[in-house]
Amino acid sequence: MKTIHNLFLSTAFAFLLFACQSNSNPDPVVPLAATLVEDLAAPNDNIDRTTGEIIEERPFQFFSLEQNSLVAENEDWDLAFKGTTIRVNSEKNVQAAVVSGIFEEITEVPANATFATDTETSFAIPTGSGNGWYNYNSSTFTVTPIPGRVLLVQTTEGNYSKIEILSYYQGNPPVEEIDPRTTPSGYYTFRYLLQPNGSTSF
Amino acid sequence: MFRINLIKLILLLFLVSPIPVWSGVNKTEKIILDEKGNPIPFALVKVDDQPAQPVDEEGKTPSLQSGERVLIFALGYQTQQLTWEEWIDAQQIILEEKSSQLGEVVVSATRTERSVEELPIPVTVLNSEKIQETGGIRLSEILREQTGLQISSDHGAGLQMQGLDSDYILILLDGEPLIGRTAGTFDLDRISVSNIDRIEILRGPSSAIYGSEAMAGVVNIITKSPSEKSKIDFSLRQRSFNTWNPGLEVGLVHKNWTTDLFLDHYKTDGFDLSPETVGQTQNPYQATTTQVKISGEISPKLSLSLFGRGYLENSDGLLQSGSSADPQVLTLENERQDFNLNPTLRFKPHENWLFTLRAMTSWFSTLSDSRFQSSGKSFDFQDFSQFYHRSELQTDYQISANQLLTLGMGQLTEAVEATRYDDNNRFDAGYVFVQHQWDPGQKINLVSGLRADFHSQYGQRLSPKISGQYRISENLSWQGSLGAGFKAPDFRQLLLNFNNAASGYYVFGATLAEEGISQLQEQGLVAQILLNPKNLGELKAETSWAINTGFRWKVNQHASLQVNAFRNNIDNLIETAPIAQLVTGQNAFSYFNVRSVITQGLEVDAQIQLSEKLRLSAGYALLDTRDQEVVEQIENGEVFKRNDQNQTRKVTRADYGGLFNRSRHSGNVKLNYREQFTGTDWSLRAIYRGKFGFADRNGNLILDDESEYADGWISLNFTTSKTLKNGIFLEAGGTNLLNTATPAEPNNPGRVLFLGIKLPILNLIN
Repeated sequence: MKTIHNLFLSTAFAFLLFACQSNSNPDPVVPLAATLVEDLAAPNDNIDRTTGEIIEERPFQFFSLEQNSLVAENEDWDLAFKGTTIRVNSEKNVQAAVVSGIFEEITEVPANATFATDTETSFAIPTGSGNGWYNYNSSTFTVTPIPGRVLLVQTTEGNYSKIEILSYYQGNPPVEEIDPRTTPSGYYTFRYLLQPNGSTSF
Repeated sequence: MFRINLIKLILLLFLVSPIPVWSGVNKTEKIILDEKGNPIPFALVKVDDQPAQPVDEEGKTPSLQSGERVLIFALGYQTQQLTWEEWIDAQQIILEEKSSQLGEVVVSATRTERSVEELPIPVTVLNSEKIQETGGIRLSEILREQTGLQISSDHGAGLQMQGLDSDYILILLDGEPLIGRTAGTFDLDRISVSNIDRIEILRGPSSAIYGSEAMAGVVNIITKSPSEKSKIDFSLRQRSFNTWNPGLEVGLVHKNWTTDLFLDHYKTDGFDLSPETVGQTQNPYQATTTQVKISGEISPKLSLSLFGRGYLENSDGLLQSGSSADPQVLTLENERQDFNLNPTLRFKPHENWLFTLRAMTSWFSTLSDSRFQSSGKSFDFQDFSQFYHRSELQTDYQISANQLLTLGMGQLTEAVEATRYDDNNRFDAGYVFVQHQWDPGQKINLVSGLRADFHSQYGQRLSPKISGQYRISENLSWQGSLGAGFKAPDFRQLLLNFNNAASGYYVFGATLAEEGISQLQEQGLVAQILLNPKNLGELKAETSWAINTGFRWKVNQHASLQVNAFRNNIDNLIETAPIAQLVTGQNAFSYFNVRSVITQGLEVDAQIQLSEKLRLSAGYALLDTRDQEVVEQIENGEVFKRNDQNQTRKVTRADYGGLFNRSRHSGNVKLNYREQFTGTDWSLRAIYRGKFGFADRNGNLILDDESEYADGWISLNFTTSKTLKNGIFLEAGGTNLLNTATPAEPNNPGRVLFLGIKLPILNLIN
């Protein structure tokens, strides 16, 4: 992972929204900051293309939304990345839901969002093209995050966060520049927003 | 009025045998000439209800029994009707040539011979001149210049018609279906055009007579008819990319029998659009085609023809695999073979009855062997072989002068053996069809048909079609047709058993899904069943309803216009979708009837003879396509797009560009000029393909962004040819003269220049 840094992405639109609400709400509102995580390296296992055998098994990369950093497996991680698979920490009862919408416009955890954790047989964030966070384009052989897919995660601390994955390729290149044969994959760029007060609004 | 033409079939039978010289001086002898004063040796004369009589090689008529009316007709000419008195007085009879393509005879539209102007459905006929003027060697090079047709590159050069892919277009060779598709595409580059007499292109569904695959339309390739006299022709064409195409045609005539032999070899170095990567865009390959056609008359009522064709293709190349850190170069070797055998027996016991018994047996196989260049170790090996047999009996019965009934029944067997399939897989099917051609009045003609298909794997299917033409005036006629089309699930969709070892996913044909999943379950590989294969139901045929309507207008002696509008509503399109999630995180897929697609558009063709020497023609096609499911999702606000600044918004209906690889606008302008000083024919064509959706860029998999389109382009093509007095034919020219590179179309190599010569050896010796 190259860099993890904060971005204060309080858009004018969000300001207006909160400004409106604050007229009727006496509580002071602190605008929440969206965090951008760039090039979280989580390459898939190295697989022999002739036999399908795994030549080199690679580890999952464990990430804590609360700490905004990679952590060890025995620490309080929320999400674990490897290839296109994203696990949630079921031992710590991390729950996730996949919803459709525009990141900025999701200001509340939707009532119909179905949260689940990973089980032996299923992932809270489903794998496979079109099922979870990505599409696999079989004509260009590229993995692209599905626009408008937002992952909602209830962290180890019980706080809600919303996540938008932006790229699966190193350096977050424009899609035209991705060559699936040469551009390193398994490099996640995503942004997320964590509501630290435990409420369901962002 | 003589319009329904069972009788034209006799004409063909007569043509099969060299016409005997009519002996004896005949007082009533007339001569049938064309407008230039040349005799028409294949004209026919018919008195009342007597059998039609052919003229001799000099256009002279035989002696006739007297009657009331005399009809004089010949293919490609306006029929003349005279009273017996007029006939007696005439010395010579001049037949007017039919303008443009309207006089062309079409056999595939009704399975009987009818001229284009009598057909109530949109048909294009490309005769040998039009084929020659393109300078094309392979079928794709001819079809890409036609209005409303596109060639797309997907596992071969596939045809696109009325916005539908190659999967939904039936390709016939002399009326018999050709097999051998890779991922649904029939590769048109497999067909050499050197000995094609003409190509018929029917638009709109024809499942009512042809059954499966005839959904968007039918292309019938008609090989040259047996020669009238013996010949030996040698031809040689040379092209850019070190492409050589020698060919030999031998025609032998012996009494009532003719034999035609055709050999064609094609060799090319291929081309490379991306020299920076290992391997070529098109690998070097060579292909050999051999064809034999024997036909003759067993008795005056019985004729036989035997057709055999063999095709053999080899290619080799390199491919880079593995990651950039650890590149592995693979050597590829591919082989493709195709054999067809097609005997046809025609029996005409009576003027009003014709029985045709025909069979087509085909073998198609492919083999691909890729190995690591360094170690020679096998990387992948795939083979595929398909067997197809069809036998059919067709009965044509002329009920009356204005009604022709066609009844057909047939049986077909198909079998596939391949690396990706279990055991030997076999389909059996049977079908019956009936067609009624009827001219209820002078101005109206109707063709209606119904076909029932019975299939061992997917059940049965009824396909009706009705079409009609109304002659508003002598020069203007309106056509309309409504028909059903279908495409049966293929072997892949039903019986595939494929495991991609590298990425760990499985694909099961619909009939194997249940078994496949339970096997994976036994191995403990299934994490979660997404769809219970037991509840999947049977895979149904992909079906369509289509309407085609338009008009043909002969503006004047020199200009004509044809217009056709169409709409295809296609349901039950088959797609893959995951049925189970595996413990590895990968999926197992199977095939489902899911999508509904609409394609609609308009096609216009116009021709004008500007002067004796100069002809101009132009075509335009408008195409609109959409996936109904995508439209629904967009309307429900479920589809989003994201720009480079990571701003996400909802996709609107106006963003949606329909199906990928469809040009909304396309067209052509063609100029034909006969230069009299040198006696050469010039043909200059500009073929336009408008911008089309190439690939998804923004991750939502639909066409909804400017960046997802490939630019439109124009291919400027030129051919010049000359036939010398001794029969030697010379040609030269080029295609894509502007050398427009189109990376979105890997089948476009850029500028191609060519030279060709044809030597009629037997002529030259004599």
